[in-house]
Parts: sequence; C-alpha cells; structure tokens
Amino acid sequence: MMRKIFLVARREYVENLRTKTFWIGIVSFPLIIGLATAVPVLLSKAKEARSYAVIDHSGFLLQEVEEEVRRDDLREVIETLAAVYREDANRFERLPEVLRQPTLAWLGIEEEQRQVLVAELAAVEADSMARAKLSENVRGRLDALGLALRQWWQGVSVQELEDMDLELSRSRFVRVEVPAGVDDPQAALNSMIKRDQLFAYFIIGPDPVESADQCEYVSNNLTDRDLRRWFTGKASRIVRQRRVARERIEPEVARWIQQSLAFEGRKIGVDGAVEDVGFKDQARQWAPLAFSYLLWISIFTSIQMLLTSMIEEKSNRIVEVLLSSISPIELMSGKIAGVAATGLTVVGSWALCFFLLVVVVPGLMGAPEDFLSHIPVEPLYMVAFLFYFLVGYLFYAAIIAGIGSVCSSLKESQNLMSPIMIVMMIPILAMLPIGQNPNGLVAKVLSFIPPFTPFVMMNRAAGPPALWEYLLTTVLMLVAVVLAFRGAAKVFRIGVLLTGKPPRLQEIFKWMVFSEGAAAVPKEEES
Amino acid sequence: MAEAVILEEVEKNFGAVKAVDRLSLIVPSGCIYGFLGPNGAGKTTTIRMIMSIFYPDAGRLAVLGHENPLAVKERLGYLPEEKGLYDKMRVAELVAYFGQLKGLEPHTARLRAKEMLERFDLGDWLDKRCEALSKGMRQKVQILITLLHEPDLVILDEPFSGLDPLNRDVMRDLILDMKRQGKTVIFSTHIMEQAEQICDYVVLINKGRKILDGSLAQVRASGDQAILLDYDGDGAFLSQLPGLRRVNDAGKQAELFLEEGADAQEVLKALVQRLQVRRFDLREPSLHEIFVGAVGGTDDA
Repeated sequence: MMRKIFLVARREYVENLRTKTFWIGIVSFPLIIGLATAVPVLLSKAKEARSYAVIDHSGFLLQEVEEEVRRDDLREVIETLAAVYREDANRFERLPEVLRQPTLAWLGIEEEQRQVLVAELAAVEADSMARAKLSENVRGRLDALGLALRQWWQGVSVQELEDMDLELSRSRFVRVEVPAGVDDPQAALNSMIKRDQLFAYFIIGPDPVESADQCEYVSNNLTDRDLRRWFTGKASRIVRQRRVARERIEPEVARWIQQSLAFEGRKIGVDGAVEDVGFKDQARQWAPLAFSYLLWISIFTSIQMLLTSMIEEKSNRIVEVLLSSISPIELMSGKIAGVAATGLTVVGSWALCFFLLVVVVPGLMGAPEDFLSHIPVEPLYMVAFLFYFLVGYLFYAAIIAGIGSVCSSLKESQNLMSPIMIVMMIPILAMLPIGQNPNGLVAKVLSFIPPFTPFVMMNRAAGPPALWEYLLTTVLMLVAVVLAFRGAAKVFRIGVLLTGKPPRLQEIFKWMVFSEGAAAVPKEEES
Repeated sequence: MAEAVILEEVEKNFGAVKAVDRLSLIVPSGCIYGFLGPNGAGKTTTIRMIMSIFYPDAGRLAVLGHENPLAVKERLGYLPEEKGLYDKMRVAELVAYFGQLKGLEPHTARLRAKEMLERFDLGDWLDKRCEALSKGMRQKVQILITLLHEPDLVILDEPFSGLDPLNRDVMRDLILDMKRQGKTVIFSTHIMEQAEQICDYVVLINKGRKILDGSLAQVRASGDQAILLDYDGDGAFLSQLPGLRRVNDAGKQAELFLEEGADAQEVLKALVQRLQVRRFDLREPSLHEIFVGAVGGTDDA
C-alpha cells in the first residue's frame, strides 16, 4: 500500500517539477522581493530631470533659493563623503584630493561651523561673524583648498555626481532662464509648456515676506508634485528667516518655537524594565504578519495545484485505468503527498532565498555585524511555519480532493470552490487587525476554528499565545484534519468515477454521512 | 484452474437504482467471454466489481480463485472504455509507471515498456510526450499498458468503440492472440456482430439481469432457425409476405423467421419475383435476433 502511494506521489512530484507553474512559483518570491526594492529606485532614476523657470517679482527670493540649493547640495555631497570615510576607507582613498580635504575638515568641527564651511565652499556669502567662528585649522584648509573645491563644484557635471552615487537636486530639477527681450515672458513660458519644452514655472509675488499674494505655480502636470514641494520648501525657509530677522527674533528662539514635540517609543522588557524600542523589536512585531501571509499564499497555491492535477486525471479519463491497479484511497493519498512535497520544495526554496538575501549577501558585501542582528531569524517561526503549512495544507487538500473528485473540469469546480474561497478570505481580512492585537478576542476565537487555526496562530506568534492555546488549537486542528480525510475518502471513492454534471453539495454531504451504496449516485452512462 | 471468474447472485445498488441484480455467471479459463447488452445494462458495473473498483452489496464473487479480488489485482489487466494518458508524460515513462503500479520492479517495467513499444511499432516514440501521439497510437499505448504485466485475465470494456476498421482488426487479432497464450479475455460490447465473430461464451445482460448465457453455439441453438437474405431492391413488402412470422430488415440484408409449417421454398419463390436475391441461407438466428427476442420477452413479463 505504501509503495503504491509512494509511486503516485513521486510521479505527481516529478510531473509538477516539469510544469511552468512550479518554476514560476519558485522564482516569484525572489522576483517580487527584488522588484519591490528595485522598481522604486529605478523609477526615480529613470525620471528625467524636470525643467522649470521662475519669474521673480520680489527681486531677492530666486537668488537666495539658488544659494540655498547650492549649499544643501554641497552639504549632501560632503555628508555622503563623510559616510564613505567612516564605512569604506579604501573607497575614500580613491576620491580626488579636492574632495578629501574638506571632508576631513568637516569631520572635525561643530554643526555651526559646518554651516559656515558649506556656505564658504558653495561660494555663498556667509556673515563675517560666523566666519570668524571657524577655527584656525579649518580656515587654513579652506584657504588652501577652498578655491579648488569651489571650481570643482561649479564645473562638475550631473553625470559625474551620479557616478559617485550622489543624488542631488540639480540632477532632478533644472532651472532654465526666462526668455529675455520678450514683451510678455509669461506668454512665452506658457507656449514652452505647451510645446513640452518646460515642465513648470513659478511666479514669485512682489513681497513674499509679507504674503503669498500673486505667487503661482503653472504646469500641465499636477500629479507630479515633487518640484513644487521642493521649491516651496526652500523658498519658505528663506521667507521664514527673513520674517524672523524683521521681527528681531533670535534665530535660536525661532528654531525653538518651530520645534515639534516628539514621543520616543519604549517598551517593557522581559525583566519588567523599560527599554528602548529598536528596529529589531518592530521587525519582530511585523514578522508574524509576513509569515502568516506567506503561509496563506503557499497553502493557496498548493491546493490550486492539487485541484488542477485531480481534475486533469478525471477529464483525461486516466482515473479508471489507475483504479484498476490501486485503490481510490491510495490514489488520493499519493496525490496529496506529491503536491505537499511540491509545495514544501517551493516554500523551502523561498526560505533559502530569504536566508541568502538577508544573511549571506549583506555579509559578502561587507555589511556591519550590527545589521545582521537586526534580522529576525527566529528558528521557532520557521518550525511553526512548516508545521502550520503541513496541517493547513492537509486540511484544505482533503477538501479539495473531495471536490476535485466530483468535477470533470476546472469550470465545474468553481461553484464548489467558492465556499472554500470565502472561508480562506477570512484569515486574510483578519490579518492586519490580529497583527495589531494578537491576543484580542477576535484573534483568540478565530484560533480555535480549525480552518483558520494555522493562519491565525502564525499571525499571533508575536503575542505570543499561551501554551495551552497552542496545545488545544493543535489538537483541534489535527482532529479536523483526520475528519476531513475521512469525509474526503468517502466522497472520493464515489465521486472519482462519476462523469457528467457534478453533484450538489447536499448530495456530497449525504455521501459523507452514509456508508457507500446507501446514498443515491447519479446513474452512469454506459455505452 | 477451471474458472477465471465466478459470480453468484451478485447485487449492486446505487441508491434506488439496481445496477446489477442477482447476477450469476461463470467465466471458464482460457476463453473469450462476451458481456453483451444495451447501454446501461450493467456491464461496466459488473466489470468494475470484478476489478474490485466497486464492491458488491450482496452475493459472492471469486476472481482467479480468490474471494477477495484485491489479492489478484496485479494479475488482472483492465482496459476501461473511458481511458486516457497523461499528456505531459513521455510515452516509455508512462507505460513503465503503470507497470510499476501493477507491481513490476522499476527495472523490469522500463525494460518491458521499451520492448512492448517497439513490438507495437512505437519505437520512435519512446521519448515523445503522449500529447504528440495520434489517436490510433494512443489506443495502442493504452492496450499495451493493459498487457505489460502479462495478466492472466484481461478485461476489455467496449474495446472496439471508436476504432476504425483497420484498428478494429488489430484489436481482434490481439484478443485472439491473448487466447492463444492461454489468457482469459472478457470483453463487453453492445454490438452483437462483434461478439458473434470471436466469442466462445457470451452472457446477455439487460437492466442488470442476466437474460441467458452459455457457449455461443448453445445460445444460438436456443433460438429458432432463420433465413439470412441478401438482396437488392425495395424490401418494404417483406413484412407483409405470407408465411413469415417476423422480419428483421436492414435494407440490404434481412433475417426472416418462418411461421410454423411454412415452406421456405414458397418464400424464396415469392422473393425472386420481386427482388434481386443474392443470398438465401437457412441457419441459426443471429445473436441480435436472440437478444431482441429475449429482451422483448422479459419486457412483456
């Protein structure tokens, strides 16, 4: 008996390995993860630079925005280089001298001095009082290298900056001059926008410090708000500074007034003490949700595979040939086992891929120790995942085997499948609420309903549920699996040789309750 | 062993429907045995009980001397009427798989699959997928799956249905060949002429019940003598011809049953005047006629 079950399972497994669905399943997980990380990056990279123009009626704002942009960009460059210095000394050594010196100077000074340094380097006038605050040492380096860096900074192309992995506003937003010598510059800009030569233009009112009167943003693309937000931010900061200065408020006071209140996240540790909340804790809170979702997908795809293969045998009329050699129960068990092996292979490949992605690859790329310890590789989760996959799959597989045995085509199975689908949707809908409240009433109640147990218990793992809950739900689940198998076996024996219209649910239930032969079976066509 | 299959008062019900009703029969070893009957007579259900796919609700059943048919499942070969192949599997692999399910060792199964496929002129198709096979080739593959494990008893459910004349002859030769090798062959059909050609024994089944059984000669002798007539012309008048009890007219060929005491010569004279007679043959009635007579009789009862 076992030998024949094994033969059927092995054929099922080998055949599944040859299907496209299987390989799509294997590849989909790394592909989705890869796409989810790569696409946003690629999209932002692929976005072409937006060109804009500014009609400045205030006489000062545009110029100051430009200075601000230069300062911010240069600061970004130096901060990036400082990070390179800290993390990858070799790479830093390869940088041009003109970049290395200011970075080293930067590293040795206070925030206030940094602002001055950046302003100096960006060729923006800093007030002399601030300049006086620069230490001898820094000023010395500035005098020696300032000019060179200034020249480099003014001459460097967007391409060069991108090659250095620097994402600056000048690579995203390019300002074009308002056409000179025309009577109506606004009309000229309008026609440029129409001809797609210009993305947008700003009009700055006569007195932006007083009010936003006559300030406008004109564009035909109102969905992409990056440019507008970016320019507004810069301009507002300058306007705010001017207002502070006009009211003779100390800049420190102004900063303090504008500071918002921040609440730091803490939690109670195992020993009862209050601890800081780290990335790891958050990951631990959310990992069960991800596992639960993955579990659902794995079970769902596995039972789909089982249904397809069941129906293939029926619609191809192979069943009767098979039944001349093996019993219906051997056939059913073999198929369920074969698809389980397939599903485990897919899930296993995902786990391996996940492991490679978060542990091995960052290690190879020289990620710091610290990063690895953030990844919630909880062996218990993996064990629970495998266990819940098996019992959940077996439970649903038994039902699917019953359904598959009475249907001759996938289309016919749709009707009988829809109640299953509805049942399977419930843990998906409850996933987020349970993730937020793993020990709530809904979570607890759903745990004890076998069709939901695997998903919900996985979902609650961060809670975590009490030991007795684990034990009781497991016992209930195993009982449900056994019952499902008994019922399915009865249905399968009768259903697998039926042809024609599939029976209704009531009839199927009758088969399960009564012994074989007692329930009415549609008369079979003999020819 | 003298009997390949014994059925005693076997019954099978599906709900209120009696598919097989107190059926008793004996299939001797080494013969060709025909299960005859119209569609829905219970032939397939009977066969499935012999194959232990179904279990009888009542009665006794012995296959190859075993009361429990499961014990001899690996010595039976079964070709269902509805049969298919796994389209995506390779031909040799598929045949070997079914051989293994019948208890062959993996190595033996592969070896024999190759041998058999080559013997059936399918040597070039060993590594092709089943979906590439033509209909005729599929039939061959299905038959050799049935025979791969050299069964002692072969059961063929409607083996001729859907075959063209050429393949029909191939199938007929195969059945005769199996008999020559000493195997027992049971096949079911609703076309009497096929049974007449090759069966040693037949059983007539209708509505789950046995009408009559025995050797072909016995069954035939149980009916009245009939005249087999081949003719050209309009045979519409045949049923009005005096001296005939019943006419079974097929347009070019007719079976005529004489009334008690009627003279065959008189009938022939009358026929010659109105038809071009090509054959006039006094002989035993056809199975078809016996069957129609017998079923008609039970219906009246």
